[in-house]
Amino acid sequence: MGIVYIPPNPPIPPSQQPTVSVYASVIEPKIANTLVRRLNQIAPLENLRHVKRVRKQCLDGGKMQLTVILCLACENGSLSGSMPKDIVELINSYQLSAFVTKVCKYAALSKEEWEEQCKLWPTSYHPPTYNIEGITGFSEEESQLIFSFMKLAIRLATSTNDQVVNAAVIVDPSSKQIIASACDQIHSWNTTVSKTSLEPGQLEQSAVFTSCLTPVVGAMLNGSAGRSKQLTDVSCLHPWHWPQPQLLASSSFFHPLRHAAMVAIESSAAGDRLLFPSNQDIRNQCSHEDDMQSVYSNSPAKRQKTVPLEVVDSEPVDNCSIIVGPEQVRPYLCTGYDIYLVWEPCAMCAMALVHQRIRRIFYALPNPNAGALGSVHRLQGEKSLNHHYAVFRILLPEEELMFGRREGNVYWYNCCENDK
Amino acid sequence: MASASQVEEDLATAVAFMQLAIQQAKIAMDSLEVPVGCVIVEDGKVIASGRNRTTETRNATRHAEMEAIDVLLEQWQRTGISVAQVAEKFSNCILYVTCEPCIMCAAALSILGIKKVYYGCANDKFGGCGSILSLHSGSSEHQFSDEGSQRKGFTCTGGILASEAISLLRSFYEQGNPNAPKPHRQPVHQPGN
Ligand SMILES: [Zn+2]
Ligand SMILES: [Zn+2]
Repeated sequence: MGIVYIPPNPPIPPSQQPTVSVYASVIEPKIANTLVRRLNQIAPLENLRHVKRVRKQCLDGGKMQLTVILCLACENGSLSGSMPKDIVELINSYQLSAFVTKVCKYAALSKEEWEEQCKLWPTSYHPPTYNIEGITGFSEEESQLIFSFMKLAIRLATSTNDQVVNAAVIVDPSSKQIIASACDQIHSWNTTVSKTSLEPGQLEQSAVFTSCLTPVVGAMLNGSAGRSKQLTDVSCLHPWHWPQPQLLASSSFFHPLRHAAMVAIESSAAGDRLLFPSNQDIRNQCSHEDDMQSVYSNSPAKRQKTVPLEVVDSEPVDNCSIIVGPEQVRPYLCTGYDIYLVWEPCAMCAMALVHQRIRRIFYALPNPNAGALGSVHRLQGEKSLNHHYAVFRILLPEEELMFGRREGNVYWYNCCENDK
Repeated sequence: MASASQVEEDLATAVAFMQLAIQQAKIAMDSLEVPVGCVIVEDGKVIASGRNRTTETRNATRHAEMEAIDVLLEQWQRTGISVAQVAEKFSNCILYVTCEPCIMCAAALSILGIKKVYYGCANDKFGGCGSILSLHSGSSEHQFSDEGSQRKGFTCTGGILASEAISLLRSFYEQGNPNAPKPHRQPVHQPGN
């Protein structure tokens, strides 16, 4: 298991990553060990520890070809000039034919960058393990908590026998409480609000606490077509699929936009209104103008008279936390909260999470069809947006992804294939 | 090709419906909400309207478009029509909204397969119909090619009554809330952060 930060910037194409030139040569597999040991002594790749010394390539006919880096080359790349004497001896004794090639100069900062690098020459990749709010790594305790929330999301996503959907769990990490959780409600638009606050210790018994665990689809449960449904019921993965023929009673409600994240946001907003019923208090204490005033006092240069045309977020105007009672602080939207999603969200859901001010997004599976956090779009890198969350992918072993599924696991395998 | 008079007539129609969207924006303004409004039109008739309700609901996704869409879905399903009929109906609907749909709403409109969108002013920070992303253009370079997974495009025309839409937003952000008690201080603006 692991947690990978998905940075705001797209992977850098190898052509734009700084490279250095090295001498390399194809070698016989049987001399590889000896040669690499010797090379590491006489020409260690000191500042290129991320670069693999040996490249394995599969040739036509299944034969493996090994290429080894001999040493650094000078940038003008003439073959004879800069090569150390020991290397020249090695080349002669093994009858190698050296050529100049390029490798990436710096270690990859993201998995995507690493994948790009490997097209040039294989490198190793170590996800960052520093320590601020998770962008820089997580403690063991935090990781365990994150994994258990994700496992809960997966359990929700697979809680209906023959159907796999997306699921969302919104968590307040400071109190470790669940603020809201939801599954896709494309085909079962019910207005029940699922809200709960569980202690993390209760996570394991919590499979029965949300409304979405009631069977979502009537006919599909009994129907034989369930096994061939694949993942087309996963809202964010197939947002345009909803008009396709369904095995549904025509009387059941549906709503093509009730993706799990949208439902969870609605649910958390409903909870907020319940806990803090009065909007009026807030207006008196913290008006829209106060809020803007305080922001402006930090940036006097922006005080000029401009048309705020570009700002049409339609955001709620009470943009601050209010102390309501002695201890209760009313949160502003989902500020400070995390969301766990089984699949990378689509553009609608990803933008909804910007609007609602989510702090961090954790997802388990990429969404190559419609994902908006790196796969198709990358909202966390859109500079113009007024809020930016940190995005993480949680790598779970296949057994976890099959959680709760007794049969038909082939779908999960298929979507994990990229991870291998 | 459309004749010049036809184009003029279409524009006049668009302006007339946009006036109704502006009215919705004004209602939002009166309700202390960011003034954005919309109407949805089918066969030349307004079948739903919506206005921004993010403050009231404390749900920042309750944009005018989402409000109007929910009205339609509820209304249609009460009459018992099928999923396919709903999809068919959306493909005949035209949305008039005072401000370019944001990325969320543009994605939603594409998911529903709406036919056409007219908007007032552009949304340079969040716009999903050309300003930041172009979710209205239906092109797809992605691997899932079965029919149900095809992204859907819609035609999009901006600049209809843009100055009215802007002046509403301007007065909202510059003067703050007209109904709120007014502290005596210089008008301030929403920062462009
Ligand atoms: Zn979605
Ligand atoms: Zn919107």
